[in-house]
Amino acid sequence: MSERTIRLAVDIGGTFVDAMELDSRTNRVRFRKASTTPARPWEGVLNAIEALGTDLSRVELFIHGTTLGLNAVLERRGGPTGIITNEGFRDVFLIGRGNVPPDHMYDFQYERPESLVRRRHTAGVRGRLDYRGRVVEDLDPDSVRAAARTLVEEHGVHGIAVCFLHSYLNPAHERQAAAIIREAYPQVSLSLSTDIVREYREYERTSTTVLEAYIRPIFESYVDELEAGLAARGFGGRFLIMRSGGGSMTSSVAKTSPTHTVLSGPAGGIVGAAYLADALKRDYLLTFDIGGTSLDACVIERGSAVAAYEAQLEHFPLLIPTYDIRTIGAGGGSIAWLDRGLLKVGPESAGADPGPVSYGRGGARPTVTDAAVVLGYVDPDRFLGGEMGLHAEAARAALEEQIAGPLGLPVESAAAGVFDVLLAKTVGAVRQITVERGHDPRVFSLLAFGGAGPLLAPLLAREMGIREVVVPFAPSGFSAWGMLSADIVGDFSRTVMATLDDIDLAGLDERFAEVEAEAVASLKEQGVPAGLAILERQLELRYLGQEHTLTVPVGRDLDAETVRVTFEELHRARYGHAMGNPLQILNLRVRGIGRADRPELVRPPRREKDLVPRLRRAYDFGVRALSDFAVYDRADLAPGDAFAGPALVDEGTSTTVVPSGQRVEVDEFGHLLVTLDEEA
Amino acid sequence: MTELDGATVEVVRSYLLSAAEEMRATLVRTSFNPVIYEVHDFGMSMYDAGMRLIAEATGLTFFLGANDFALRRGVEYVGRENLHPGDVVLMNYPYWNSAHAYDATLFAPVFEGADLVGFLCVRAHWMDLGAKDPGYVLDSTDMHQEGLIFPGTKVVSRGEPVREIHELIRFNSRMPDEVLGDLHAQIAALRTGERRFLEILAKFGRPTVEAAVERIIADGEARTRAALAALPQGSWTAVDWVDDDGITDDPVKMQVTVTIADGVFTVDFAGSAPATAGPINMPYGATEAICKVVLKSLTSADQPSNEGTVAPLVVKAEPGTLFHAVYPQPTFTLWTGIVAVELILKALAQGMPDRLAASSGGDVPGFMMVGVHPDTGKLFAVSNNDPVGWGATPHHDGMHAATHVSGSTGRTTPIEVLEAKTGMFFERVEIRTDSGGAGRHRGGAGLRRDIRFVTGGEFLSVIKKTRSRPWALDGGHEPEANQVIVFPGTDREERVSTRRTAVAPGDRVTLLTAGGGGHGDPRDRDPAAVRDDVAEGYVSPQAARDLYGVDVDD
Repeated sequence: MSERTIRLAVDIGGTFVDAMELDSRTNRVRFRKASTTPARPWEGVLNAIEALGTDLSRVELFIHGTTLGLNAVLERRGGPTGIITNEGFRDVFLIGRGNVPPDHMYDFQYERPESLVRRRHTAGVRGRLDYRGRVVEDLDPDSVRAAARTLVEEHGVHGIAVCFLHSYLNPAHERQAAAIIREAYPQVSLSLSTDIVREYREYERTSTTVLEAYIRPIFESYVDELEAGLAARGFGGRFLIMRSGGGSMTSSVAKTSPTHTVLSGPAGGIVGAAYLADALKRDYLLTFDIGGTSLDACVIERGSAVAAYEAQLEHFPLLIPTYDIRTIGAGGGSIAWLDRGLLKVGPESAGADPGPVSYGRGGARPTVTDAAVVLGYVDPDRFLGGEMGLHAEAARAALEEQIAGPLGLPVESAAAGVFDVLLAKTVGAVRQITVERGHDPRVFSLLAFGGAGPLLAPLLAREMGIREVVVPFAPSGFSAWGMLSADIVGDFSRTVMATLDDIDLAGLDERFAEVEAEAVASLKEQGVPAGLAILERQLELRYLGQEHTLTVPVGRDLDAETVRVTFEELHRARYGHAMGNPLQILNLRVRGIGRADRPELVRPPRREKDLVPRLRRAYDFGVRALSDFAVYDRADLAPGDAFAGPALVDEGTSTTVVPSGQRVEVDEFGHLLVTLDEEA
Repeated sequence: MTELDGATVEVVRSYLLSAAEEMRATLVRTSFNPVIYEVHDFGMSMYDAGMRLIAEATGLTFFLGANDFALRRGVEYVGRENLHPGDVVLMNYPYWNSAHAYDATLFAPVFEGADLVGFLCVRAHWMDLGAKDPGYVLDSTDMHQEGLIFPGTKVVSRGEPVREIHELIRFNSRMPDEVLGDLHAQIAALRTGERRFLEILAKFGRPTVEAAVERIIADGEARTRAALAALPQGSWTAVDWVDDDGITDDPVKMQVTVTIADGVFTVDFAGSAPATAGPINMPYGATEAICKVVLKSLTSADQPSNEGTVAPLVVKAEPGTLFHAVYPQPTFTLWTGIVAVELILKALAQGMPDRLAASSGGDVPGFMMVGVHPDTGKLFAVSNNDPVGWGATPHHDGMHAATHVSGSTGRTTPIEVLEAKTGMFFERVEIRTDSGGAGRHRGGAGLRRDIRFVTGGEFLSVIKKTRSRPWALDGGHEPEANQVIVFPGTDREERVSTRRTAVAPGDRVTLLTAGGGGHGDPRDRDPAAVRDDVAEGYVSPQAARDLYGVDVDD
């Protein structure tokens, strides 16, 4: 048997599958893209690996990021799913909180999207807890049996979500119900809210449980297919799957908690960004990830990404730890159009099919990518390394006809306008995530990746006065690269709901210890020895009477005064005031971490030959006119190189645009650092 | 004036809208009362120096329109010359504020150097400001029973909090921590908005921003006028009744005539009752706000609001009548406005039944419990607004159990929160079979909520349309009406409307919310859709047979 020295990361996106391998003997990284295969998604993964030419028998670790769970929900591909809850409350999931999404607030004919669960597949059973978790009425086993019988035998549900009122305080009824259902129907996939999320608010908890029940059968069979495919090709290493909230988990743990994977699409990039922030010593880093249809931004403070504990999948709330990522529906494929003479960009996207006009696949409406072509940023003959020619003239004609002509602007100005409008939308979202953390956006470095990230990041930086943009190698494959450094992570929480002044700190410490034991056990199951498990404790706090919480890290020695001071400092930083009122602890959280070996950053050799750029006419946002840009191939650049804008750095799958007034330096690891000129 | 291209206008618009959204995020994250952070009962808006609306954040539609009127009256009272950088003004005088006294409007001027360049406004519902009863006032007979009144009073002056006013609020509220917490949250939201506003001016320059604002407003107006021109032209009258005024049991008449002609949308409330003795009267600004909501839904539902989008609106209501309260007429239970939204739509539907949905459940069925919490010994007043069925449209069925159209982004309070914070225990919260109006397209179903009290206190039902059914369209059937039944199954059982009821442990209340009206003849409904409704439990087999003529096995 050959030695296993390769780590392989494969990331499935909407259009492409990215595969990246790292050979730990040579420290060499290789990267390839393949098309996604939506009907049989595992095949795209295997194709990408084949295209890369990786010998699977030499792979020690395979890390996978997939949005399969997300797509299963968006496309309603799950099998029939049932809900068992308290009698009288079967509609909690269907009604939700009653509200209509904000962008439909004036639409009196709004319709909810199709539900994941039909009403006939919901059943109530006798048994009830009160708001302190005390049993008001015992669980009635017969009614559980009857409900399960109806759902399984009459309606043929594949999975059942069990969620009772106040179960976050007392799991007994859910566990009893599960035992009864399992005994009768061992083949049915069961999801208990107690196992997934121990937090209050019945709709949000039910929704999280339903999403898991809905996704799990599809996810399980996908992982099984993929595992079999990999094994058949000689893979015998470890198989990890990326988590939405950071780190990874083994494929067997992922199969039992698939909701943790649903928002893992952008997670690889953030893990990679956190690693770079640490390695490059950037205390405040902002990720700026733009693909074909969306833009994701996330704040990384002192090497760790900002977390959130409530996310949304479509309009369904999902109480799982995720990164606090702001997404804007704007990317390279976003369509530019005129609405009564006003220029709009998105939200409609040309997607991968038909794609931008310049792809020549039948797209007729101009997109951001087409604007980039008109502005001279993309070399039509070298796009994707020359594998795919670009139809520059068609892009120009579409912009001319549909935008520039009606606006009475030269076509380059219209294309620049498309960038302006897109950037204005972006500025708002980026501002918001930085100021919410209490920071001025100007203290951040912007890490640009995704196919279109480097195209727009320097422009965003000048728009916002951000001092530095960092462009990693192969920005369009950065997410896959990031996965190579993912730790094994598990998150655990409990609702506490007590005031800081009244709580018995020793008791709280015991509860922490209990949850930590759970974390250690889970990590151990995933191959992390108990001694190597890193445990982080956090409290979610608020002023008594407030609803939204702030998460405060706490040490082993719990001290009420330290907790209070930390909270108040944070509140002041975020919101500009502190109140001195009593504090309430909502949840305690424990994160267990098994550290991975991170890929070493490689130091490329210094330059020996002179660097001679080509010249190309392109639009310079620094002077808002066409000018001559120096064009460099990324592969030709070496540490220590420095040049001023206007310049373009081309690397086939993406282009970095540097307007005049900004300059580039290549750091010791080969990253491009784009900075603002002092006087600008 | 600077001439701007269509790209620059959109760039400035994005900046303004994101400033408003940032104000919203600040308020939601720092507020203390569930009506703000759970129910999202607030509205915030940005204005130019001429007090024209330029951007608003997502919020209660009904509140947003009211800010415009309130700001103008507030500035008039304080005097422009008395406003200074760093000032924040509190106003809740109902006739100017366009709402009851517990909706606290805070506004702030924005100065660039010495120039007043704009205004910001944040309105939110406060939990208690010293009215005659805790929680909600249901039977006041003049304004002075409805809370402490601020006509336009600085709570922050030149950047310094005015301690005396904060203390005045503290000593006049039964829930001072919550109210002062919310006051701070609103101030924080205004400060956020002010910073952003100034940054936008600095970035683009005032002439560019002003030119963009002109274009944004002109565009809003042109869109609305074009949309109005595309609608059937004419004049239509409708009548409906408010259950009672909270003092007597007599229904109160509402009448409206809506006219679309010559690019103008006129809403005339002539024929409505004189102002009532009880607190269901509408301040004029609140009346204007509900008309804005309807006009907007009809002409620019998918556009951000601004001064232009509602420019073609004319609202007529005589002073001293139900829709134009004057001092000291009581205004606390503004539910009249909610019922009137459906009344305006009812008039319009006569002229365009093929465009509009039938009535939704017709009201926002609200309730609140006030009492002393056994765990804390402290007073609580926690409320919830229940969902109703939405009306069927010409093209599809109405939604089941959704927040009323007058404030559809509002959310119900979770059962787990209500049980933890009050003395209520819920025995059932479930969709109400057969409550949606039958039709070719079926109205959405309403909700049934059974409450048992585990501690004593007061239960407040706040609802103004229980005595008649909401309207249907085009041959559709009317849905089941809203009902509030106190002490069901006992000899004290009674159907009530808005009522403050003393409750003891073991007492029960059942709330039934109305379905939406049907659209089109139920006999024309696709039988497969009827069978599906039966299988889902929205329609009973008997109703399928009787109303739709479809036999379904039980």
